[in-house]
Amino acid sequence: MPIGDASPRMTAPVLKLDNVVKRYGDFSAVDGLSFEVARGEIFGFLGPNGAGKTTTLRMMLDIIRPTSGRIEILGAGSAVEVRRRIGYLPEERGLYRKMRAADSIAYFAQLRGVPGREAKRKAAALLERFGLGAFARARNDQLSKGMAQKVQFLCAIAHDPELLILDEPFSGLDPINQHRLEDLVRELRAEGKTIIFSTHVMQHAERLCDRFLIMAKGKRRFVGDIRQARAAYPPKLILRTRDAAERLSRKEGVAAVVARGAPEGGEQAYELTLAPGADPQGVLKAAFDAGLRLSRFELAGASLHDIFVALAGDTAAAEAAPERAEAA
Amino acid sequence: MKPVLLIAWREFRQYVFSRGFFLFLVLMPVGVIAVAAMLGFAERAQPVRAFVAYDASGRYQQALEAEFERRRLRDVVTSFDAYVRAAVEPAALEENRIPAPFAPGPADTARPNAFFAAGIDAARAAVAPHLRKGAPAFEPPRWPFRLLTPPPEVAAAASLDEARERLKPYLLGEKTASGADGPLFAAILIPPDFGVGGDAPAEFWSRNVTDLALKETMSRALNTALRREAAEARGLAAGAYEEVAGIKAPIEDYRPDRGAEDEAIDQRDRFESTLPALMTYVLLMVIFAAGQLLLTNTIEERSNKIVEILLSSVTAGQLMMGKLIGVAAVGLTMPTIFAIVSLVAAIGLGGGEETLRALATLGESGLVFVYLFYFFCAYAIFAMIFLAIGAVSNSMQDAQSFQGPIMMLVLLPIPFAPFVYHNPNGIIGSIFTWIPLYTPYAVMMRAASDPPLWEIAGATALMLVFAFVLARAMGRIFRDTILNPAPARAGEVWRLIRGGF
Repeated sequence: MPIGDASPRMTAPVLKLDNVVKRYGDFSAVDGLSFEVARGEIFGFLGPNGAGKTTTLRMMLDIIRPTSGRIEILGAGSAVEVRRRIGYLPEERGLYRKMRAADSIAYFAQLRGVPGREAKRKAAALLERFGLGAFARARNDQLSKGMAQKVQFLCAIAHDPELLILDEPFSGLDPINQHRLEDLVRELRAEGKTIIFSTHVMQHAERLCDRFLIMAKGKRRFVGDIRQARAAYPPKLILRTRDAAERLSRKEGVAAVVARGAPEGGEQAYELTLAPGADPQGVLKAAFDAGLRLSRFELAGASLHDIFVALAGDTAAAEAAPERAEAA
Repeated sequence: MKPVLLIAWREFRQYVFSRGFFLFLVLMPVGVIAVAAMLGFAERAQPVRAFVAYDASGRYQQALEAEFERRRLRDVVTSFDAYVRAAVEPAALEENRIPAPFAPGPADTARPNAFFAAGIDAARAAVAPHLRKGAPAFEPPRWPFRLLTPPPEVAAAASLDEARERLKPYLLGEKTASGADGPLFAAILIPPDFGVGGDAPAEFWSRNVTDLALKETMSRALNTALRREAAEARGLAAGAYEEVAGIKAPIEDYRPDRGAEDEAIDQRDRFESTLPALMTYVLLMVIFAAGQLLLTNTIEERSNKIVEILLSSVTAGQLMMGKLIGVAAVGLTMPTIFAIVSLVAAIGLGGGEETLRALATLGESGLVFVYLFYFFCAYAIFAMIFLAIGAVSNSMQDAQSFQGPIMMLVLLPIPFAPFVYHNPNGIIGSIFTWIPLYTPYAVMMRAASDPPLWEIAGATALMLVFAFVLARAMGRIFRDTILNPAPARAGEVWRLIRGGF
């Protein structure tokens, strides 16, 4: 049963999916997906590989058709009618190898309705703004991978779309460029754009998203903001002691006690999962009563990573662990 | 429509504004000129074929020599006629300002004799006032054969066998005949009982069994000699045979299905019936070139992952249409440039008037539009197939398994084209007309011969329905497979085709 709030906090959704299903033979890539995205928000689309994120994004853009269900985007029944108002950066990106960088940006802007001269002017301005002015006349196959990715991103925004859909925009970028892209996404939101991006790197989502959707195996597992997600999950206590804290697992209000990391200076860190409705002060008192000598006692909300792992299951847990390191 | 044109323009620019295309454009005419020059040089560099004739009958030596000389003179006169038609102002020809025997006409016995009695210089002087500006002076062609007197030892041979043995060293280069630069190219031996009613054949000896020009000329010369002999034996005066043989019956072509005003077959009719053959050739060139471009280009977009961003900007139908138009324009650019260059060259070389007249005649004919319609239908049908192959392939290697059968389909009508050309309303023409893939080829070939209207209308309707269904099926393949990372399997392609129908 999905949790969270499927309705956006703001009115007038720019995107609405209603019970959308996509089947390939007997396999359901997307299964009864419903959610809304409000104007002006940054909406994260989270899920492990094979969760159905890219299929959903392609259905939003009407590149592929849903088997059943309804998609409304920018007030239209099909993205084809409003594609000039949408920018899209696919997960698998490419450019015409022999085309010049500026020509590539201008070409895609023109395809989305920007007049030729203005498209060229915009391309030059964007390249200048993002530090690629000197490479405007360079052929795409002469650009570094990072530069090419920037050009691809500029191709997606050159026509000044009001809705930007980015499929795994951070993949393949080094940490510096990942931060630059995060800043750019915030800038675009500040300009009033709505941004939907898919990722399976939780740190980006946690830093950027107003709301997010978690899906796994084609189904929605959560829609809402981080506060709602944390509220739905019991808080944790982090404590540090030189005594064995496992004995607390039998105390009232404690669901689980797990040792974290290796002992340091004779002390061990523990993570205590609280039972729903448990009072952290009561647990603190129980710890003193049990004779534990505490050097740290901290109440911590569930991280998005924890929530993601809890919701998306084992597959997500296996994937998310290395990605935390990658994104850090 | 604008995105379609933008895609078409990008496709066009990608190829036509490339260095490779420019180089090809420059190198192609240079190559043609170089090949023509080399062929000319090779022809000139070829040694004159020296040969001897040994006539054991004693009746044909002179006739053979005379016949070869007659043919040499006729060859010069024929070349002069061709020169006059190309180098002289058309008005001078129309107003018959060039005097006989130098005005173009039949090269029978009398005219070459009169021509050479006056001489080549007189011929040059006769046309000089009427030459186009910059036209070169006439140079007689080189006669490629030289009939030598047989070496004395051969002439003195007592029999054909002896002559044959004595000639062999001259043919093998062991001895050199007087007047020859090397071994004899050939020798003809005429047996004693050779002649009309005789059974013994003449013998043609040569180490070269592939160059048949001398043998054929020799054969024609002997035929003429025998016929002349037979004519004289029947009482015809000496020399009368040439006059009789030179008689040509005037004949004009008419069509019974035309009104009185245009029943005579004229230049326009000839253009209309030859144009489809030319257009079929151009169509094949365009399909070959465009098919390859569509394949490589779609495969590149697939492997470069550009296609998804394109499909977020335009529909799959617009993308397909843009590609078809752009690549068709690329395919037609090359023949168009060559046609324009040829036209300019023809005008520059003084043949422009005829060329422009031919074009004007062509413009008056409504069939040109019929040809263009079917030309583009054929292109669209095959280009859609190539586009779908590109969409299901990750590499040219993947594409080849589909490409082979398709190329067989493209080429299948070629062996049948001459049958349709010569008998446009025959059974083969009808069969191909009703096969939608080949309707364009067949109708183009048949259009000038007034085929039954119901047949053309029915077959065209069938072709259009087929093209529509094909577009749906190929569009479905394109749309559903172009984003798949793995190349589509034959079973999946078949499922999509069935879905399109």
